[in-house]
Amino acid sequence: MAITFKKVDRNAKLTLWEASYVPEILRGMSITMRHFLTNMAGLVMELAGGRKHRKIMTLYYPEEDPVIPPSYRGRPALVRRSDGLEKCVACGLCEVICPPHCISIVGAERENGERYPLTYTLDGSRCIFCGLCEEACPKEAIIMSHDWKNLCEYDRSKMIYSKEQLLYPERNLVRRLEAIRGRYFGIKRYKNN
Amino acid sequence: MITLPDLVETVVKIAFILGLTIGFYAPIIGWIERKQSAVMQDRIGGNRAAILGFTVIGLFHSLADAIKLIFKEDFVPRGAETALHRLAPVISVVPALIAFAVIPFGGTYNLWGHETRLVIADLDVGVLYVFAIASLATYGVVIAGWASNNNWSLLGALRAAAQMFSYEVAMGLTIIGLVMFYQSLSLVEIVDKQENFYHWGIIWHFPAFILFLTCAIAENKRIPFDTPEAESELVAGYFTEYSGMKFIMFWTAEFLEIVTISALCVTLFFGGHQIPFVTVSGLIDFLGFLGPNGANAAAMLIGVAVFIIKLTLLIMLQMSIRWTLPRFRYDQVMKLGWKMILPASLIWIFLVGAGILTGVMPAV
Repeated sequence: MAITFKKVDRNAKLTLWEASYVPEILRGMSITMRHFLTNMAGLVMELAGGRKHRKIMTLYYPEEDPVIPPSYRGRPALVRRSDGLEKCVACGLCEVICPPHCISIVGAERENGERYPLTYTLDGSRCIFCGLCEEACPKEAIIMSHDWKNLCEYDRSKMIYSKEQLLYPERNLVRRLEAIRGRYFGIKRYKNN
Repeated sequence: MITLPDLVETVVKIAFILGLTIGFYAPIIGWIERKQSAVMQDRIGGNRAAILGFTVIGLFHSLADAIKLIFKEDFVPRGAETALHRLAPVISVVPALIAFAVIPFGGTYNLWGHETRLVIADLDVGVLYVFAIASLATYGVVIAGWASNNNWSLLGALRAAAQMFSYEVAMGLTIIGLVMFYQSLSLVEIVDKQENFYHWGIIWHFPAFILFLTCAIAENKRIPFDTPEAESELVAGYFTEYSGMKFIMFWTAEFLEIVTISALCVTLFFGGHQIPFVTVSGLIDFLGFLGPNGANAAAMLIGVAVFIIKLTLLIMLQMSIRWTLPRFRYDQVMKLGWKMILPASLIWIFLVGAGILTGVMPAV
């Protein structure tokens, strides 16, 4: 959207109608009263069990959770495959691209020749939630989840997440996965909200 | 000679008015101000203060405020004029309260052979009394600002003094037309003459109502005329240095002034306790099935209820004005007062005089 601006003429001459204040005050009050009445009606409807549709955008936070958009970047998560193992192949791309260097990986190899991260440590106190690890990952193995609660601790050592803490089943990450696929690969399977 | 029933009647009326203003309206206005502004601005407003899990749509916030402020330190700044600093809040609360003495909140009823007139003092010069008392409120503000030993307070007090003085002149003049129309300075008589709906002040004196309300809000130092306490310029103006209970008293004084102004508007322009097209005697006749005393008592309750409803609606009108308009600049306040409202009220007096002389306005 192009930025538009309005030039305010501070020396504007008021017409007699405007200078008499009262009609303009009534006009202003009609706006505020319109908001008052529509909001009152909305609040009464909601109390009466109607659908929650109101102009008031206030969220009762601890009781109500906000709707997280699909493109939201929460705490990074490692994707767990359906057989319970991690998708990550320990290539180290995320480790390299991470701007605050919060990821550190020790790679290893399974008996069938698959590479996997022996340890995968992500320092949550340093992570800047930029999502570059997700972009760099060739395997869709690290995804910015929609976790946004309980990211704070009183002790920084508690914010260093181990592989087990980061592993998420794939079904919990579907919305974000579809969002990034739509964005990076032009797949328009997801809809907003 | 004052008799015992008269004494009881007066004490009951005073208790009722004190309960209505301090006990009911002061906390309720705090609540209305929070909630109405919130809903007008697409917010919800305070609703977390709860007693045993009941929040009563945020009504307990006034209570929580009161408890918090009562337990706060009563602070007197160094260099302040201690005695005057303590006196100022009282001086601002008292005028707001005692102005209510002449405002009739009901008609005259005959209860158990005792004629009860629902006004604490039926003065012949009720209008003048209200203005005299209202001008006393200036002292509280000026003393508070001066005694605080604070530059912002003093500036606020100076502004308040100039503003209240200017608007008092205009406010007095806006009422002259009404006094000419009703040919009385007694508020009781003015209300009695509004028994006929077509003689209500608002019908014949709508311009005076607008002017009066404007002056009254300016007198009350509320937005859009709150230059004496302009937060963005003067911290909190004349009560910057007040905390705890004294701060509540300034706060209460402001709310009580809203009630007083609304009550005065109801009395002068909206017929006080009168219901349109219903006379008090007609109402008592209509309720005759309750017996003479019951009919009078019921009519009295209805009259008081009507008065309170009108009062509340006017308070909400003032609230919506307060939450709609931005603040005037100080010179604009003065210009509006002296160059617009004062001439406008003089013109209105002239027009009312012409109307009465030519018979356009009915004689009441």
